Amino acid sequence: MRRVRSRPRAPARLTAAAALAALALAAPPAAGSDAPGTLPLQLAARGGRVVATVDLATAFPASLEHELANGLTNVIAIYVAVIPAGGRQPAMLYGRVVEILFDVWDEKYQVTVKDPYVPQGVRLVLPTFAALRGFLSQERGLDLGPVSLLPGDGFFVEARVEVNPLSKEQLERTREFIANPAAGTRAQGGSRSMLGAMASFLLREPDAGADVTLLRSGPLGPREVPGR
Amino acid sequence: MTPASGAPAGGWRRAVGLLRVSRFELKISAALVLAATLPLVGALFLAGRVAEENLALGLDPRVVARLATVPALYGDLFQARKRLYAEQARAVARGLPPDAARASRYLAAAVERVPHLRRAAWVRKDGAVAAEAEDPGPPAEGQWREAPARVELPGGDRLDCTFEIEARFFAELDEARELAELVQGVDALRAEIRRSYVRAFGALLVAMAVVAAGIGILLARRTTRRVSDLVGAVRRLAAGDLAVQVDPGRSTDEVAGLARAFNAMVREVRESRDRIVYLEKISGWQEVARRLAHEIKNPLTPMKLAFQQLDARWRSSAAKDVDPEFGRLLGEAGEIVRDEIGTLQRLVDEFSGFAKLPEVKPEPADLGEFVDDFLRTSPQVREGADVELVKASDRTPVALDRALMRRVLANLCANAVEAARPGRARIHLGVARARDRAVLTVGDEGPGIDRAQRERVFDPYFTTKQSGTGLGLAIVKKIVLQHGGEIQVGDRPGGGAVFSLALPLT
Repeated sequence: MRRVRSRPRAPARLTAAAALAALALAAPPAAGSDAPGTLPLQLAARGGRVVATVDLATAFPASLEHELANGLTNVIAIYVAVIPAGGRQPAMLYGRVVEILFDVWDEKYQVTVKDPYVPQGVRLVLPTFAALRGFLSQERGLDLGPVSLLPGDGFFVEARVEVNPLSKEQLERTREFIANPAAGTRAQGGSRSMLGAMASFLLREPDAGADVTLLRSGPLGPREVPGR
Repeated sequence: MTPASGAPAGGWRRAVGLLRVSRFELKISAALVLAATLPLVGALFLAGRVAEENLALGLDPRVVARLATVPALYGDLFQARKRLYAEQARAVARGLPPDAARASRYLAAAVERVPHLRRAAWVRKDGAVAAEAEDPGPPAEGQWREAPARVELPGGDRLDCTFEIEARFFAELDEARELAELVQGVDALRAEIRRSYVRAFGALLVAMAVVAAGIGILLARRTTRRVSDLVGAVRRLAAGDLAVQVDPGRSTDEVAGLARAFNAMVREVRESRDRIVYLEKISGWQEVARRLAHEIKNPLTPMKLAFQQLDARWRSSAAKDVDPEFGRLLGEAGEIVRDEIGTLQRLVDEFSGFAKLPEVKPEPADLGEFVDDFLRTSPQVREGADVELVKASDRTPVALDRALMRRVLANLCANAVEAARPGRARIHLGVARARDRAVLTVGDEGPGIDRAQRERVFDPYFTTKQSGTGLGLAIVKKIVLQHGGEIQVGDRPGGGAVFSLALPLT
């Protein structure tokens, strides 16, 4: 397990699209990083689909409370993928984005969970960091896809947890800010500059977030999917 | 600037010509592009530095960090308010009377007394409200949000207090959070933003350089193309094309001056060549005239003497009275022979005069004064025609051979008189200056000269008259050319022909 740095970010749009998730999971670990941590998990087949329950507790240490309770919107992207043994490209995957805002008045965590099945998000309120940590750590019922896609020759499950990755929404807000800085500060009569507009247009998305935790299960086979 | 004559026709050729780039154009264009783009390298480096420094100024890590703590500060503020309100609620609870009637008055006083307390209610264990009071007035600071505070009372009852907290705190918190998130996003993208500014700056600079290079190429092309045209014209001139001219355009620069000088040079070369060719041709005709005059003149005298002897013998002969009819026939024949010999003699004289034209010996003179002298000393001109002289310039200094130029003027005036026959001629003389020439015009009101014949009227022996030898205008042109001048014939405004003599000003 590795944690490079921690940084609060703006709310993220749904970034759990399959392609993005595949790219994220296929991305090599950052230079100098440690080997992936162990991913405790349970797999099951329900209704012809593979459902995973993973324990991501190691990705959410208690020290994360300071960051997640800072009153800013924090985003956590979680990708879980089934990767064939000896391969790198996911055969099955699931992604979700969790937006967390600690309400400094109510002193509770407002959480919005978005995934491909509920793109508009499911909202819930968690009273304490312990509850939030528990919620984030125990990812239950993750729909990885049809059972038929399970690699027959063995596989492993990998989870990638990104804390405050750069989202497209954040990129768009930054672009708008560059193109029209006065509007970003709510000043009256903001004006757009050609240079700023061009810089905004040419602003590229940086590499996937550096604040990434990788967890990986041991080798698995189709038999380890009960109900299959 | 394109050659005015002899240019290849056809749209495709013009298009190919426009696309053609000469080496000269290529060199100038390359120099312009180089000059325009070289500074961009440094400018791009500076742009990167400026963007970096501006981002460093605007995104001071301390500012970014402090902005991130603003929501937490509001959290601390809210906590403090909550603790304050809880303490105030406990204070109210401590003084709460045991009976409901007094409690109501007490709570009303408390609502009025305790800052930000909007409502207070004594709620019994079973949920019934024993006493309550509420501030009926507007909130202290306009918009507000409720901040509840509950105090447990002995016996299971409770005191529910509702305080007010300024809603603006929450608006400010939202704005601060939004701003902090934005700044943090910008900070996270700092390196990429710097690169995007460099890219944008580079793109703008490249665009400007392309525009500048394009404009430079166009401007350079205006000059280089004119020079290329000039080079082409010189080549054509070297190949013998004396009709070539280049368009100097409306510019006043050196290239345009060179083009004008080239045109003038070509004109002078062409005129010199024409002059030489004409004079050579005239020389040939003069030789012919000399021989003709010699061959015709030689037998004329014996013929004339022989007939005179015949006539004298007849007059002294006795047969004169015998055959008067022969005498009459001989007289008529003698008349014819004398007339024809006279005609031949005049022809010989004209041929001789043409063949023996003297060399021009020019002397300084004023053309206007010369014309005045001519008219004053040539009464036959005024006798044969009405003469009008217009002098548009006071001074027209030229170098001329007075005797030969008088002959020129006399021939032209005689031509004008002939053209007006049978009516009386009107001769319009004019003297003026045009650039570096003095111009003498001799106009008449005759039928004019057909455009097709204008080039030939100066050829020897060409005449449209029954009695002319066709040598008069040839003599005129030769004399004018020998003066370094030129002569043209054209239509006179108002009818008739006009001869224009141009002599170099001295």
